[in-house]
Amino acid sequence: MSVIECKDVTKVYRNIAALKGVSFAIEENKITGVIGRNGAGKSTMLKILAGFLKETSGEVHVLSERPFNNLKVSANLIYVDDQMSLPTSLTLSDILECAGDFYRNWDKELANRLFDYFSFHPKQRHNNLSKGMKSTFNMIIGLAARCAVTIFDEPTIGMDEAVRKDFYRALLKDYIAYPRTILLSSHHLHEVEDLLEDVFIIKEGKTLLHVPLTDFKEMAIGLSGDLSIVNPLISDKEVYHLEENGIKRTYVVVENNFTEAELHEAKVKGVDVSPVSSSDLYVFLTNKTKGGIEDVFNRG
Amino acid sequence: MILDSDSSKPIYVQISEWIEAEILRGHFTTDQKVYSQYQLADRFNINPATAGKGLTLLVEDNILYKKRGLGMFVAEDARERIKNKRKNQTLKKLIFELVLEAEYLDVDEEELVEMIKSIKRKGEVQ
Repeated sequence: MSVIECKDVTKVYRNIAALKGVSFAIEENKITGVIGRNGAGKSTMLKILAGFLKETSGEVHVLSERPFNNLKVSANLIYVDDQMSLPTSLTLSDILECAGDFYRNWDKELANRLFDYFSFHPKQRHNNLSKGMKSTFNMIIGLAARCAVTIFDEPTIGMDEAVRKDFYRALLKDYIAYPRTILLSSHHLHEVEDLLEDVFIIKEGKTLLHVPLTDFKEMAIGLSGDLSIVNPLISDKEVYHLEENGIKRTYVVVENNFTEAELHEAKVKGVDVSPVSSSDLYVFLTNKTKGGIEDVFNRG
Repeated sequence: MILDSDSSKPIYVQISEWIEAEILRGHFTTDQKVYSQYQLADRFNINPATAGKGLTLLVEDNILYKKRGLGMFVAEDARERIKNKRKNQTLKKLIFELVLEAEYLDVDEEELVEMIKSIKRKGEVQ
């Protein structure tokens, strides 16, 4: 069952198009990584799902409802980012108390245990927290709310390495115990990839790819070797990345639909066949040119 | 075991190989229940779907069998199957790489075989 369905969603801010027709569906109880470069439209998309923004055109359904101005969606969805506006007049422990009244499945014990583990003080105020502590506190709310749809938009901003690891661990453990639909946005695919079931990549306001992570990791392969040997091998393949790699040698990343025998033959001919890490592949796919930053400096 | 995200082996393959190793070590025996996808996900800090894919791989190879609603169990002859599979796949691949490197370095067959033998003699590999 699809919990989230979008069809041709666009969003125009004044005269800048942030989303240019995004369509996708998210199935129930999956963790999906929403990945994209800065300004790709991730946050706009997620805020539309959360009902914080209204789409300019297209159809958005979350839990079979249109999310904008919708109480059912508000009660069953939580959107966590580093700008959550929480009352400055309340202490942190008051905020947790209030959040408990808001969300039906609120796990008070989990909230308190995480609160203590991360060494918060009950009398602290949200606006006095450091960037990392704010993210950590928001994350506690996001997890303990246990909403059917949970959206974390760049949740680890400002967190130190140890807290990030703890957060991802906590997220996974709570997800295993209480499966729910989770969207997790990040521009660091490497950091989140093991947690994800699906990956959804947005590029320049459009869907680039929406596939199981395991497929994503196998869709490309790197070949390096002499130009004269590599080029014939890739003549009918889609090339994701291309760089010079020594004299008359090349490194290419191409779609991986080679057979075992073909790869075997390539190796015999002296071609190095290597896997492509998912974060490299993501960077290649979202680059504007096939050579990336190198192209800026290659003036021919 | 720590999983290697950058390895050429997908995570789910690493999971299935870890279970195979557990069977070879005798930690799991015929008809014994193995870890569920959720236990594996927790243990290796990965998505349960990825862990599930690793288990499915072993069911397809007849190393595990599924009992509806009860979980996955070690099949009869699992050890033999694993050994055969490793011989035909992993070992063959390694030898291929070895031969390729030897050719690249102009090491002939005789010398290569001698090198293998001397490593076995020294007891570096048991």
